[in-house]
Amino acid sequence: MAPLLRSDADYFRDKARRDLLTLLEGARGKKNLVISQELAGPVGLFVKFSVLQEYGVDRVFLLENANIDSSQRNVVFLVRGEKARHVRIVAEQIKRLQNNANVEHEFFIFFAPRRTLVSNAVLEEAGITGDVNIAELPLHFMPLEQDILSLELDDSFGDLYLHKDPGCIFHAAKALMGVQQRHGYFPRIVGKGDNARRLADLLLRMRKELDAEESSGLADPSARGLLPSASVENLIIIDRDVDFGTALLTQLTYEGLIDEYVGIKNNQADVDTSIVGPAPTPQLQESSKAPQQAKQGLKRKIQLDASDQLFSQLRDANFAIVGDILNKVARRLENEYESRHTAKTTGELREFVNRLPTYQLEHQSLRTHTNLAEEIMRLTRSETFRKTLEVQQNNAAGADSTYQHETIEELIARDVPLKTVLRLLCLESCMSGGLRPRDLESFKKQVIQAYGHQHLLTFWALEKMELLQPRSSATTMLLPTSGAQAGSKTNYGYLRKNLRLVIEEVSEKDPNDISYVYSGFAPLSVRLVQCVLQKSYMVSLIKGGTPAASLNTANTTSPGWLGFEDVVKSARGATFSIVQKGDDKAVRARQTLSGNSATKAVYVFFLGGITFTEIAALRFIAAQEAPRRKIIICTTSIISGDRMMEAAIEKGSFAKAE
Amino acid sequence: MPSNPLANWEKVGDSFYRKIAVYDAIFEDDIELENYIVAGAPYGGAIALYRDESKPFRLRDGQGSRSTIDVYSCSGQKINRINWEQATIRGLGWSDKEELLVVSEDGTVRRYFELDGEFTSFSLGNGSEEYGVRACQFWSSGLVALLSNNQLIAVSKYDEPRPRLLAPCPEGEVSSWALISPAHTLSRSVEVLLAVDKTVFLIDSTEAEDKILQDGPFKHISVSPTGRFVALFTAEGKLWVVSNDFQNKFSEYDSKSRVPPNTVNWCGDDAVILGWEDEIHLVGPNGVASKYYYDGRVHVVPEFDGVRLITNDTCEFVHKVAGVTEEIFRLGSSSPASVLLDSVDQLEKKSPKADENIQRIRSSLPSAVDTCIKAAGHEFDAYWQKRLLKAASFGKSVLELYNSDEFVEMTEKLRVLKALRDYKIGLPLSYEQYLRLTPEGLIERLISRHEYLLAIRISEYLQIPADKIYVHWASQKVKVSTVDDEAVCKLIVQRLDGKPGISFEVIAQAAYDEGRSHLATQLLNHEPRAGKQVPLLLNMEEDELALDKAIESGDDDLVNYVLLHLKSKLPLASFFRMINTRPMASALVETAARGEDIELLKDLFYQDDRPIDGANVLLSEALRDTDLTRQTEKLHLASRLLSDSKEPTVVLNQKLVTEASQLLKVQDALDKDLADHSEFLGLSLNETVYRLVRGGYGKRAHKIQSEFKVPEKTFWWLRLRALVAKRDWGELEEIAKLKKSPIGWEPFYNEILGAGNTKLASGFVPKCTHLSPAERIEMWVKCGMIVKAGEEAQKTKDLNTLELLRTKASGPAATEIERMINQLRPRK
Repeated sequence: MAPLLRSDADYFRDKARRDLLTLLEGARGKKNLVISQELAGPVGLFVKFSVLQEYGVDRVFLLENANIDSSQRNVVFLVRGEKARHVRIVAEQIKRLQNNANVEHEFFIFFAPRRTLVSNAVLEEAGITGDVNIAELPLHFMPLEQDILSLELDDSFGDLYLHKDPGCIFHAAKALMGVQQRHGYFPRIVGKGDNARRLADLLLRMRKELDAEESSGLADPSARGLLPSASVENLIIIDRDVDFGTALLTQLTYEGLIDEYVGIKNNQADVDTSIVGPAPTPQLQESSKAPQQAKQGLKRKIQLDASDQLFSQLRDANFAIVGDILNKVARRLENEYESRHTAKTTGELREFVNRLPTYQLEHQSLRTHTNLAEEIMRLTRSETFRKTLEVQQNNAAGADSTYQHETIEELIARDVPLKTVLRLLCLESCMSGGLRPRDLESFKKQVIQAYGHQHLLTFWALEKMELLQPRSSATTMLLPTSGAQAGSKTNYGYLRKNLRLVIEEVSEKDPNDISYVYSGFAPLSVRLVQCVLQKSYMVSLIKGGTPAASLNTANTTSPGWLGFEDVVKSARGATFSIVQKGDDKAVRARQTLSGNSATKAVYVFFLGGITFTEIAALRFIAAQEAPRRKIIICTTSIISGDRMMEAAIEKGSFAKAE
Repeated sequence: MPSNPLANWEKVGDSFYRKIAVYDAIFEDDIELENYIVAGAPYGGAIALYRDESKPFRLRDGQGSRSTIDVYSCSGQKINRINWEQATIRGLGWSDKEELLVVSEDGTVRRYFELDGEFTSFSLGNGSEEYGVRACQFWSSGLVALLSNNQLIAVSKYDEPRPRLLAPCPEGEVSSWALISPAHTLSRSVEVLLAVDKTVFLIDSTEAEDKILQDGPFKHISVSPTGRFVALFTAEGKLWVVSNDFQNKFSEYDSKSRVPPNTVNWCGDDAVILGWEDEIHLVGPNGVASKYYYDGRVHVVPEFDGVRLITNDTCEFVHKVAGVTEEIFRLGSSSPASVLLDSVDQLEKKSPKADENIQRIRSSLPSAVDTCIKAAGHEFDAYWQKRLLKAASFGKSVLELYNSDEFVEMTEKLRVLKALRDYKIGLPLSYEQYLRLTPEGLIERLISRHEYLLAIRISEYLQIPADKIYVHWASQKVKVSTVDDEAVCKLIVQRLDGKPGISFEVIAQAAYDEGRSHLATQLLNHEPRAGKQVPLLLNMEEDELALDKAIESGDDDLVNYVLLHLKSKLPLASFFRMINTRPMASALVETAARGEDIELLKDLFYQDDRPIDGANVLLSEALRDTDLTRQTEKLHLASRLLSDSKEPTVVLNQKLVTEASQLLKVQDALDKDLADHSEFLGLSLNETVYRLVRGGYGKRAHKIQSEFKVPEKTFWWLRLRALVAKRDWGELEEIAKLKKSPIGWEPFYNEILGAGNTKLASGFVPKCTHLSPAERIEMWVKCGMIVKAGEEAQKTKDLNTLELLRTKASGPAATEIERMINQLRPRK
């Protein structure tokens, strides 16, 4: 019974592709595709432009560019149904085409992931409901990698914490229901944070509703409803607001740094050609071609995923050792390449020639990553980076933050990017329970004077998101020992000690703890996951023993937060561990039928976004837990400190030109 | 006495057809079928009768002028009567779901559900009102209407009907037409064959293709159930069967009739039925025909696997004899299955031949068993069904390994079919039809006939969901029962207790539609799905409850929908009051309003007494504005909003807002004084200072610094960066002469060095007194001044560093370093 079939990633990718192509087939003949920006990238994850072409797509337009023309009779719009604003734009464009063109258009709107009542109302209002063919494209999880499922909701962070719009929780619940329908119910849902609790509640409710809806036989109860899965162990939900602090730190893994400096979107990075050189052979370009007409200009798209072997080796490593790895690979490649001279027989020669394309590919990737790494190296050597990092690490380590203020003030005066400054301020606020009101006031003034008065709104947003706050009462958060009461804020002081967030002697080269990802600071979010999955490791770590030794005895007998309830309470928001029971008899019957599968899956859902660094840390755990467990990372989107800030930063300004 | 299985067989060409009388005594004699238009639903469904207005009829008392559509079952049970007071009916047809569709001349389409008279209607539009509908044709899920101007309108689904014009048709007299259902066209949308004048046009949504035929006009045109063949009836009384592309003619049949038949229908994919008033020709392949005669008018109702013939007396089903049946029953058949059937007879006679038979067909016994099972399915007569199953059972008992699933399933299906074919139910499904209709489809038909008990029995028997049956039953109960609400609710809840998948929302809706809103609310409480309750609650004006249920469901879309509804309905104040206590609702209202309704947002913040939020709205409005005076105005308004509070954050915000407009004023002045275009306006304060310094307006920069109280350190940094950018080395040298810098001198060194002026940079090294010698040495080296570095090292007697420096030095510097080393090196 246990679906030993394809991985979730493949399954969801295939499903999404099939769904989209079936819909496209429904629009007979050639068609133009208009797609909203936020969907263009994700769609590129599971279907190539050439495939779209096979299905009659002639040209692809971005909704935001509003340049759809009448070159094809069929026009297909692909937008998110939840975005009333986008639906309104669609309605406008349809009306424009109807009025202008002498072509009798046939319109299709595909709503992802669902057709909403509000979008119906919008179309109704525009008076075009009758003129369009409407369909749903149930697009939920999109696989970024074999172990990462993302909803790719770029706005989810802002929606959740700034606008308090729980839409993405609902979306997440739907997506997780999809997982449950495939594997059976998560036998246990463990989580931390208020939004996480909301998500869990939704899952429970949806299960009830599904049971109610489930139309199945009367005589045979075992066919009714789903059962707790035999192949899944847990769902762990971590609310981002439990640990804003970690995400605000500058990521120090290779992939994390690329994301910080270049930005990775849907597994692709737009890198300046002056750094990595112009696009090479079309072969590579193929895979990196998103369905939109990329404005080539001076940027080159680089595909960053497991298809690049070298990158898989580098991505989760601390940047400090990336140079070493690159050197090693370079040497190996050279050796192998040189082996052509030693090839004696024609057979050996043929073998060499056969491997030649692989070499070339590897060589290319080596060149790209060497260039990229050098560029990042250059940036990390700069004085401002050093100062920024210093402030961050002091904050992370729990040093008195007021000593850092001078540095931050200098950075402001030196006009470093606003995001960097705000990250430092937010970091301090998160880590030490708010800034002293006087300090906050002074920083507010300085930042506003330096970056513009529009940022009054930015500060307001940050406060609303509880990222940057005045310290309410001076004493509550300062004492690291006074934890243990369920707080509205995460008490880093207490947790730093009780979960050993800071490990100074961690080796970046040969790491034995997840803290390597931030060169000595373990992400709280992932420590929480460890509290569920690696209890004995955590216990020995806290007691101060040598951590590595006791790894193997990890017991699965104490489920949920057991053993860590008190510690975990010091992190913000609700703590819960829910068992989803099925019909006992049926469960037992199933177990005897299928036996317990050896590898159990653990789904870790980061609500509100996850950083690449946290992914690296989770992978580190996954490697330790293999083969007993496999960890599947789910998230609403990939986030970074900069992206968190972007959600808050006011984009308008008083300047006229822009 | 069993009937002869061959009794009603008719040989048509190479194959056999059979006509089975399913029911008799259908209609009362006073219904004169010749005066009616008859339309039958597929899969043995209901039959709709409508008086043909083109025919004269005798007025009878009572129902005289009133025209009605009467719906009967195949066995003549009257199901419903629909009064028709609309325009003349031009099309009467059924969908696969047994919805009756009535198209009137003015283009109105009514769609009746569930046979009980409830309907929705829509208009065909597209000029149907002006020109009038001439005729209609239907397929499983759609219809095509022909207007009197030869224009065709297609509707491809009824749930969201979107009538669409097909390609314009050629002028001319349309003598007949037929549609090809989307399942059988290349374009996957409906296409129409239109016989115009002498030829036939194929019309799809974009073009009309002339098939260029010469032998028209065609009086009838009909497409076979698989879409592969087309039957044409010519004016000369000839029937042609051609391929669907009109390239090949397969057969021709001369009906020898001057009068064209009333109907031309396909009977399966091999034969065509020509129907006159009281005469039927069954034309098989190669133009061979068989004829049936009747006493009265006969109507033909097509099915995909045959046709139903309806007369006053009988309902008959004509279809091709299935291969398996033929194999067994054909005269002189010696097929293994036939032998197997024979052995059952022998067995009953206790004759040893039974065993002999079995031995003879031993090798092909499994397939003989299969054949018998299949043939049982095609048989209508229970006697022969039993006989065949008995043969199969006997056969499989001999076999060692045989999977009985098919046998069991067939017995189940036959039981179901038998129950359905009972004249009280009147669903004479053939085996093939049952497979296509599916058990679920079957249940729906039973539901719409209110045959709940049978539906439940069948669903239990076949183990398929019964929830819809219960829900329908309950809805019906709500509609017809007269007892008080509590009792009805109790009864329903009691009956449905523990049944899975019950949608109380549907039942509640039914109650509400009946005007029993109290009952509806009561029933809704039993609905487990919060989301499902919302639309009904809104209808019932239970606004607050609807909002709560929507929030409970966690579905943001639903909440937004309710809010949209409430906003347009309630006065603003009560709307705000309603969302006030519900954080999710107010968050969603705020988010939505931010995009589209700023004024609402202002009202909301005012009502809620949230000055900062209110001021922020004004601030963002100011940001979006491009006109300076309006911007200042907004900022002024914002500042006034904030001025009432004494709270420190508000006070600070107010100060900063005021500062913003002040800055804009200053910048505007700068633009007027210094630049001919807008250069300064809208910059940040620091940026303004920076640009002023860079532009050489140091004094103005100073003035702004003091006016806006820019911190000293910040100002120094700005000046430093601006001067470096300007490469104003002179000014920097001036600064170097100062004694103290609030930011220290190291930044000067770094920035200037970064700009490439090593000489000037080196001038700041000695000023960095707080740095360690090692750091200063590094600084000297970076400027390329090895000797100076050496001197620094010499001061601290750092021999190692000197040695290091020596490797870097060249020329005179090297000698100098050497000298220092020698000085320091202890004399031997």
